[in-house]
Amino acid sequence: MSLALRRASFAERHAASLRQLRFFAWSFGRSPSSMLGLAIVLGFLLVAAFGPWIAPYPLDAEGAMNLGNRLKPPAAAHWFGTDEMGNDLFSRVVLATRTSLWVGLTIVGMATVIGVPLGIAAGYFGGVARAVIMRVTDVFLSVPGIVLALAIVAALGPGILNGIIALSIVWWPGYVRLVEAKALALRNEPFVEAARAVGASNLRILAVHILPNCTSPIIVKASMDMGLAILAAASLGFIGLGAKPPAPEWGAMISVARTYMPNWWWYAVFPGLAIYLTVLGFNLFGDGLRDILDPKSNRG
Amino acid sequence: MQGPIIGRRGAIAAGLGAAGAFAAGSPARAFERDGNRKIFVFAGGQPVPVLDPHVRYDWSTRLIQQSVYDALAKYVNDPPQIVPWLAERWESNPAQTVWTFHLVRNAKFHNGDPVDAEAVRYSFERGLRLNKGVAWMLKDVLAPEAIKAVDAHTVQFTLTRAMPSFITYVPLWFIVNPKQVQANVANNDYGEGWLTRNEAGSGPFKVRRFEPQSVIQLDAVADYWKGWPQGDQRRLSGFIYRIVREPAARRAMLQRGEVDMITEVPADDFELLKNARGIKPEDHKGFTTFAITMNTTKGPTADLNVRKAIAHAMDYDALIQIHNGAATLLDSPFPDAIPGHVAVPGIPRRNLEKAREFLAKSAHPNGGFELEYVHVQGLEDPRRIGLALLNSLQPLNIKVNIVAQPWPTMVARGSKAETAPDMVSVYVTPVCTDPDVIAGKYHTRAHGQFWGMHHLTDAQIDGWVDAARVETDEAKRNALYADVQKRVVDLQPEIFGMLANRRWLMRDYLRGFQYCPLRLTGEFDLYPMWVDAA
Amino acid sequence: MALFVLRRLMLTGLMLFGLVLITFVVSNVAPSDPAALAAGPDATRDMVETIRKEYGLDRPLPEQFVHYVGGLLTGDLGRSIVTTRSVMEDLGRYFPATLELVLLSMTFGVLVGVPLGMLSAVLKNRAPDHATRFVAVSLVALPAFWFGILLQLLFSVQLEWLPTSGRLDIATPPPPFVTGMLLVDSVLAGQWATFADALRHAVLPALVLSFPCLASILRVNRAEMIEVMAADYVTAARAHGISRLRVVCVLALRNAMLPTLAIIGLRWGWMLGSTVLVETVFDWPGIGLYAVSSAIAGDFKPVMGVTLLIGVNFMIINLIVDLLYGVLDPRLRATS
Repeated sequence: MSLALRRASFAERHAASLRQLRFFAWSFGRSPSSMLGLAIVLGFLLVAAFGPWIAPYPLDAEGAMNLGNRLKPPAAAHWFGTDEMGNDLFSRVVLATRTSLWVGLTIVGMATVIGVPLGIAAGYFGGVARAVIMRVTDVFLSVPGIVLALAIVAALGPGILNGIIALSIVWWPGYVRLVEAKALALRNEPFVEAARAVGASNLRILAVHILPNCTSPIIVKASMDMGLAILAAASLGFIGLGAKPPAPEWGAMISVARTYMPNWWWYAVFPGLAIYLTVLGFNLFGDGLRDILDPKSNRG
Repeated sequence: MQGPIIGRRGAIAAGLGAAGAFAAGSPARAFERDGNRKIFVFAGGQPVPVLDPHVRYDWSTRLIQQSVYDALAKYVNDPPQIVPWLAERWESNPAQTVWTFHLVRNAKFHNGDPVDAEAVRYSFERGLRLNKGVAWMLKDVLAPEAIKAVDAHTVQFTLTRAMPSFITYVPLWFIVNPKQVQANVANNDYGEGWLTRNEAGSGPFKVRRFEPQSVIQLDAVADYWKGWPQGDQRRLSGFIYRIVREPAARRAMLQRGEVDMITEVPADDFELLKNARGIKPEDHKGFTTFAITMNTTKGPTADLNVRKAIAHAMDYDALIQIHNGAATLLDSPFPDAIPGHVAVPGIPRRNLEKAREFLAKSAHPNGGFELEYVHVQGLEDPRRIGLALLNSLQPLNIKVNIVAQPWPTMVARGSKAETAPDMVSVYVTPVCTDPDVIAGKYHTRAHGQFWGMHHLTDAQIDGWVDAARVETDEAKRNALYADVQKRVVDLQPEIFGMLANRRWLMRDYLRGFQYCPLRLTGEFDLYPMWVDAA
Repeated sequence: MALFVLRRLMLTGLMLFGLVLITFVVSNVAPSDPAALAAGPDATRDMVETIRKEYGLDRPLPEQFVHYVGGLLTGDLGRSIVTTRSVMEDLGRYFPATLELVLLSMTFGVLVGVPLGMLSAVLKNRAPDHATRFVAVSLVALPAFWFGILLQLLFSVQLEWLPTSGRLDIATPPPPFVTGMLLVDSVLAGQWATFADALRHAVLPALVLSFPCLASILRVNRAEMIEVMAADYVTAARAHGISRLRVVCVLALRNAMLPTLAIIGLRWGWMLGSTVLVETVFDWPGIGLYAVSSAIAGDFKPVMGVTLLIGVNFMIINLIVDLLYGVLDPRLRATS
C-alpha cells in the first residue's frame, strides 16, 4: 500500500487540494470585480517588469532635462504630456510602477516578517510574552500610521528607503493582531493538543500546525495591504517626503504637479490615475481572495 | 454682517441665508470696502508667527512689522536709499564711532504717547539684551549702556569701533513704546511674550486681527504722524494678509478677485497671468543670491581643481530657464545692488573643455565619485537646480545625490566641517547695503553659519574683510572689497548662481507699489499703496 | 464594570508612556538644531545658544525626556519653535477645526453608508449591489490628496461654487469662541450667514475625508444585513405577513448600530490621521496641517503633541465604544 501511494501521481496525491484549488479558482472567476482586480494586478506587474522597454524615454526617469520641451500637453510623442523639466510623463509614470511595486512588497514583506512571528508567539505562548507583545502592538495601533510615518520620515529625511522604513515600522502591528487572534484560537484545537500530547516540540507545532492555518487571512491581508502601502507611500510623497529626485514616484509627482493645476492638468492627473488603479486593483483582488479564502471575516 | 467690514460677498450671503449661500459663487469681487475707503487684500504663503520686531524677521513678518512700526530711517526706492523717518537728521564724528540722531517732534505711538529719545534708547537696548532677531547686526559694536538719550529728541550711540555702515542697519531696528512694553513684562522677558502677539508701534497701521497662521488684519492709522503720501482721500482703510499656502490657490484667488495681490508666484503661472485682463505684474531684479556652497575641507570638493571643474560644468543657462528667464546670473559673489560690487572677469561659465582640464589636474581625473547636494525640504527651485546640477556633472562622470532636509538638520550638519555636505543650496538676502554682510560670508567667522558651510579659511580674505569693515574712506574700502570678490572667485568655495527676480501679481486698480531691493523676498512697502477704483 | 474601566485606564496610561517614548526617539534620531530655526538665518552662534537654553535644548537627551514627561503630567507639551507658542495652546486652537471636519465626515459617512449598505444587501448580487460594492472599494483606493485637488479644481476654480480653502471667507468675522468649531459656534450665536459660509468651506474637505470611512460603514452594514436577513426570526416575521421593507428597516437599523459604532471607534484615530493629507490640500488650519508644516520645518514638539493627542483620542474613543457596546449588547456584558 505504501508502495502504491508512493507511485501515485502528483494529481492523485493532492487530489483534495487540487479540487479545492479548482473550486477557489472557479468561485474567484465567478466574481467580475475579483477578475477585474486580478487583471489590474497582472497589468501592474507586467508594467513593473517591462517598464524600461515600455517607456519611450527611459532616460527621463534618471534626471534627463529638456527645458525647451517643458509642460507640453499630451500628444503622439508624449502620451501623457511632459513635466516642468521637459521629461516625458508617460515614461515617468511607467517607470514609477517599479518603485511602487518595490515599496508595496517591501513594506508588506517587512510587516509580515516582523508581525507574524510576534503574533504567533503572543497567541500560542500566551502569558507574559503575550501581554508585552500585545501592549506594544496596541501602542503602535493607537496612532494612525501616516502620522507616525510622517514624523519618522521628516526626521530621517525624504527618500524611498526612509519611507519604507517608516511605513514598515507602523505597518507590522496589524499582522500581530490578526495572527495572534488566530493562533490563540488554534492553540486549543484538538489537533494541536494531540500534537503536544505526542511530544512534538513547540517549534514543530508552530511550523506545521499553527502557521499553515494562519496563511489564508495573512494572504488576504497582504494582498489588500499591497495597495494600501503603495497609497501610504504616495501620500508621504505628496507631503514632500517621497522619492529623491530624479527617481520617479507617483506621490512626489503629484506633489510637484499641484502647483501646475489646472492649466497643466495632465501633470497631476496621470500619476493620480496610476495610484488609483493600482490600489483599486489590489483591493478588488484582495476582496476576491477574502471571499473565497476567509469568507467569515468580511468585515470593514 | 457683524463687523464693520462688509464685503459684497458677505452682504449677499447674509441676504440669502444658509441655503442661498451655497450657490452664491460671486466671481471677480475685488478689494473689500469700508465705506468709501478700501481694504487691500494680499495673499502669500508664509505665516507671521511673531510680531515682535526685535525677535524675528522674515519677509512676511517684516511686511507687518514695517507697517506697524517705524524706525529712525527707512529704506526706499531702487537703487536703495536711506531716508529720514523718526529721525529727521543724523551725524557721526569723523572717526565714525559716535552717531547722533535728532528725532522728529510730532511722532507718536498708536496709544498717543510721543516717540521720544528714551523710546529709541529702550528699543535698541531691548534688541541687544534679548540677543535674538536683529541683535547680530550691532551687538559686537554697541553695548546697551552706550546708548544715550541726550535730551527728549536726541539719541547718541557710541560704538566700540569705527563703523561706517552703522546707518545701513538703523532702518531695521524698529522703535517700540517702552511704556506699553514695560507694563507687560513677565519674568524679565522685556515684554517678549506680550509683543509676540501685540504691538506697541508708531507706524502707519495698527493690528486689528492677528491669527498667525491664517489672517492678519491691519487698520490704517487715520492721523498717522507723517501723513499719507497718496493723500488722505485715497489712503487705505486697512490691509488683510491672508496666508494661503498653495500657489495654485493663491493664483485662483487673484483671478477670482478674492485677493488684490499675490506673491511667491511660480514662474510658469507668472507667464500665464502677467498679461491677463485685469492683472498687472511687478517684476524686478532680485537681491537674493543663490549659490551652491561646496565643502572646501572634506571629500572631493576639498580639491580646488574639482571645485573649478564643477563650476565650469554647471549649466548656467538652466538656472535662467528654470526661472523662465526671470533671473540674472551673478557676475561676482556680491549682488550688484551692494556698494563696492565689481563684475569679476573670468567668473566661471559653462565650458566643458575647461571643466575636463581642471578635473584632469585633480586627484580624480576621471570623475567616478558621487557628491551629495542638500537643499531645504519643501523648496521647489533648489530641487530643480539640483536636477540641473545632476545633469551638468554627468559629462564629468560625477554623480549627484539630491537630498532634501529640514532647515535645522541642514544647519546642524553644516555647522561642522566634518559633517557639512559636499554641496548645499544657499540663498542669502543681504539685510542692508553694508558690503560686510556679504563679504563676511567668506570670512573664517562665517564657519558655523549656514552660509559658511564651505568652511573656507583664507588669511587674505580675512584680512581684507576685517580691514574693510572699519575703513572710513569709501574708495579704499571699495578697493578692498574688489580684492575680496576676485579672491573668492579664484578660490571657488561655491558655484555662483543667480539673482532670481522678485515678482508680484496684482489687480490693475492697485496703485503706489514701490520696489526696493532691500526688502526681503515677498515683502513690499504697504504705506504708499492705494486702490484706484470706484 | 468599574474595575474594567480602571484597568483600561491604567493600560491606557502605560500605552501613552510608550507612545511618548516612541515619538521622542523618532524626533531625535537625526542630528538637528531646531534652535537655529527660531534664531533665524543671520543669527550668530551665541544667539542660537540663547534660544537653545530658552527651549531647554542644550540639555542632554535623557534629561530632556524626563523634563518632557514631567511636563506632560502638568499638561505641558513643550513649545513650538515655529509658532513660539506652547504646543498645548496651539492644539487648543487647531484641534477644534479638525474635530469639526472629522465629525462632519463621520456624520456624512453614517448617513450615506448605512442606507447604501442596506440597499446593497437587499439587492444582493444584483446590479445596484455590484455598483455599490465597486464604489466602496473605489473610495478606499482614491488617493485623498489627489481627488481632493481634482474636486477643488472642479467646484472651486472652474465652477466657482465653493471656496478653495480655509474655514471662513475673510469678510466673515468668526463667531464668538465657544467650542472652536465654527459650525457649532455660529449656530450658538445664531449667525446663520456665518454658518452657511463655514459649511461651504467644510463641504469638500469633509467629503474627501469621509470616503474610506463611508466605504467601511457600507461594507459592514451590507454584511450585517445579509446575515440578519438569513436569520430565522426574519423569515418568521416575514411569514407572519410583516412587509419586507418594514422588516429590513426596523431590524436592520437596530442591527446596524453595533458594527457602525465599532467602525467609528476603529476609524476615529485613523481619520484624525488622514487629516494630515486632507488639511494640507484644503489649507484647513487643523492639527493635520500643523503636524505637516512643523514636520517639514523640522520642529518636532508639535509633531509629538499631535501624535499624542491622536493617540489619546483613539484610546478614549475605544474605551467609550467598548462601554457602549456593553450597554447596547447585554450578551457582551455578561461575558466580560
